[in-house]
Amino acid sequence: MKFFGEKRIRRRYRLILCFVLMIFVLLLINNFHKKVYERKKVLRVGVFTGSYWNRYNGNSYKILNDAIAEYEKKHPDVSVEYVNGITRDNYEEWLAEKMVLGDMPDVFFVPSGDFNIFLNIGAMKNLNGFIRKDKDFSESKFYEKTLLCGKNKNSQYAIPYECSPTMMMVNETLLNQNGIMLAGKDWTWSDFYNICEKVCVRTSTSIDQYGTINYGWKDAFTSNKVKLFNKNATKCDFTGNNIYESIIFLERLSKLPQGRVTSATDFYKGIVAFEPMLFSTYRSYKARDFGTNNYTDFEWKYTTMPAGTSGDNISRLDTLCVAMSDDTLNPDAAWDFIKVLTCSDKIQKEIFDYSEGLSPLREVTEDDDLSKYMREEYGIVLDKVIISEVMDNAEVQNRFQNQEDIEAEVGNAVNSILEANSNIQMEQIIWNRRINDYLKKLK
Amino acid sequence: MTFERSIEASAEDRIDKVSDKLFELMLLFNGIIIIFNTLITSHAIYGFVKEGDAFSLITRCQLNIVYWKIPSIAIMLYIGLLLILSIECHNHIELISKIWIEGMIVCGIVIITGITYNIIVLLIFADVMRNRIDWKKKLIYIVGLTIFDLLLSSSLPATYLNITPVSVIWTYYRKDISSALSGAMNMMFLINVFIFILYMVFLTLEQMSEKERIAMLYKELSKANAQLEDANKRLEEYTEESVRAAETRERNRFAQEIHDTLGHALTGIVTGVEACIMLMDIAPEATKEQLKAIEEVARQGITDVRQSVKALRPDALERLALEDAILKIVDETQRSTGVKIDFECSTSLMNFSQDEEEAIYRIVQESVTNAIRHGKATEIKIKITRENELLKINIKDNGIGCGKIHKGFGLHHMEERLNLLNGRLEYEGSDGFTINASIPIRWGNSDEDGNIAEVKDND
Repeated sequence: MKFFGEKRIRRRYRLILCFVLMIFVLLLINNFHKKVYERKKVLRVGVFTGSYWNRYNGNSYKILNDAIAEYEKKHPDVSVEYVNGITRDNYEEWLAEKMVLGDMPDVFFVPSGDFNIFLNIGAMKNLNGFIRKDKDFSESKFYEKTLLCGKNKNSQYAIPYECSPTMMMVNETLLNQNGIMLAGKDWTWSDFYNICEKVCVRTSTSIDQYGTINYGWKDAFTSNKVKLFNKNATKCDFTGNNIYESIIFLERLSKLPQGRVTSATDFYKGIVAFEPMLFSTYRSYKARDFGTNNYTDFEWKYTTMPAGTSGDNISRLDTLCVAMSDDTLNPDAAWDFIKVLTCSDKIQKEIFDYSEGLSPLREVTEDDDLSKYMREEYGIVLDKVIISEVMDNAEVQNRFQNQEDIEAEVGNAVNSILEANSNIQMEQIIWNRRINDYLKKLK
Repeated sequence: MTFERSIEASAEDRIDKVSDKLFELMLLFNGIIIIFNTLITSHAIYGFVKEGDAFSLITRCQLNIVYWKIPSIAIMLYIGLLLILSIECHNHIELISKIWIEGMIVCGIVIITGITYNIIVLLIFADVMRNRIDWKKKLIYIVGLTIFDLLLSSSLPATYLNITPVSVIWTYYRKDISSALSGAMNMMFLINVFIFILYMVFLTLEQMSEKERIAMLYKELSKANAQLEDANKRLEEYTEESVRAAETRERNRFAQEIHDTLGHALTGIVTGVEACIMLMDIAPEATKEQLKAIEEVARQGITDVRQSVKALRPDALERLALEDAILKIVDETQRSTGVKIDFECSTSLMNFSQDEEEAIYRIVQESVTNAIRHGKATEIKIKITRENELLKINIKDNGIGCGKIHKGFGLHHMEERLNLLNGRLEYEGSDGFTINASIPIRWGNSDEDGNIAEVKDND
């Protein structure tokens, strides 16, 4: 009876105390304890060392340091910090730990594969409000497709920082030797097949020549507008007609006399006509090649991906984005820093010096001076027409949980269909069920 | 009888205490469950971080809360729930809003702790049962709460809300340890349910015994009621008796009046007529004279009777203020008898109660009548003064007076009246006849003007 049955006046105090507690809970959820203890404005950045594109890069923090210097010049009251030495492999784990420990960096880089995960747990702040308010920020400056990478249902959660599309590398020397003319940038699978067929024709004089290497089901599916999974990869549609077309095409390619190659470095030996490659890979090879000047003895360039029968010249696009933590204490400062990283021409141009990708800013990537500088300094051709075409037609890859496993399963399916001599559409239905079972098992 | 009742009351208290103690035990147990669960959960999350497995944890269960916030928020929410539970409700609106707040808090606790078996709803349940509302309405609350409980227990909220997935987080521990932990949780849940059942049993017992107590109280009440009725009856009888006594008193008064006025006149007339009979043949002239005197006496008698009737009627006095009433006597007496009356009043005669007024009036009237009738006075002086807390009435005449005072009905009656008011009466018959009456004044000095106005209104 001690606790209950007291005087009526005490009711009010209890009610008030309860509401105070509830307000306290809400404040705690909104991190008020951090606000209380904070002295100077500190902006923490989550970043990994090395290259996002799996290249060797000795200038990992160069761009970030320059961006910080530029930012701190404008905002002397804010100091920007980052933790040095987190590798690309450990980056997700590091971010997750920070998240669980309640110590999330205010601004962090989001690899495209992690976007959905951070989106689902609500780690990223919706930036629509900032974009609407900020007159300096213009979405039209970006390649439209790169922005899609950080978007979910009309909400922009991350701003593209660097991107790299898949492009078709062409061994010009080999084609010229065989007297083959490359079709324009809107070439198709049949053009592609014809050239491969011609390259593969064995003459007594020539050495072993191959049509293409590493042209896999992903490239074929992308070019033929295949939509394999729903958003969270809980369902798969493997029965579609454009999948059938893609598989037929892959089969035809593989049935060429020299259709399939096993050694991954064959392209660099100059004996393969085509290889799909990330632009960043192209850049790093080309730059190294240019520096040492003796790596390859053939001319090579890039072009768009060949269009599928019911598709288009579509490339896959990988983008590294920058996002703001949902519980950042200084959202405005964080937004300004994101802007410095992604929208400042000066910082974005540094991508071409210290990284391997392309700037998502159209004006920077398609700048003529830069193009000239790149050719002279690194021997890299920035073909404005091709890049523009590729970027406009690129397809942003849907990223989801267990992506590698699921894609391996799909690859397995495509390979076994290619190897089996049975009815493709029949096989498609069988594999459709198997893949969906697998997806169910993963959940 | 009081001893019996106290024993019963203490028994009642014991049952009361059991159900309340059980409720407190439930609160305690739920608190332990919440603290136990959240501490283990947050420890497991921290363990994931230490082992470098945070990313897989996040991807698997989409956890987005800082580990130490789970126990702290859950405990705060629970304290809030305890506070709300301790508030007593007096009507349905209060009860509904209370349940609403409790429901919200419980939702919060379920989301933050991920306790799948939402035992906490039982607390709200138990609390509602404690309220003294009739069973029909209680049933509505029970149905509502059951639906709420079922909704919480279903997997529905887990799909739409971001409920902390405890089972996934606890996989951090070795299989045997995690199963031991969840076994402990289940045990606590079961104990909690058991306490709830016990609580319900004791609450029912308590409410039943309370019904019995109410029945007993009702019996006592009807007994007391009967007693009261009896007393009422007796009071009525007593009232009747006192009315009868008043009647008797009134009759005595009538007798007095008749004696004073009519009796006196008739005696005079009878004596006069007897004398006339004797004188008629001897001296017709003297008889004529005598008859004239009788006529006068008879007239005087009539006047006296009239006055008496007027005096008997209470409204005679009520219609007029006391002073006016006295002035009227003076005036009437002067006119009818030719006696000179000197009336002097140096104090206000307002604010006397009815019995006092009556007494003063009667004293003046009686004295004047006595002076004329017995003292054959030709001059009377009436003086009313106030001395401190006493009202003094001094009436003096120039009549024959008397050596030895025979206390007649009138004088005796006057004395009686004054005694009732704690007053005193003095008389002396050596030089004419003097009456001194003193009445203690019960009212203060104030408010005289207001009363004048009131009296005038009444006029």
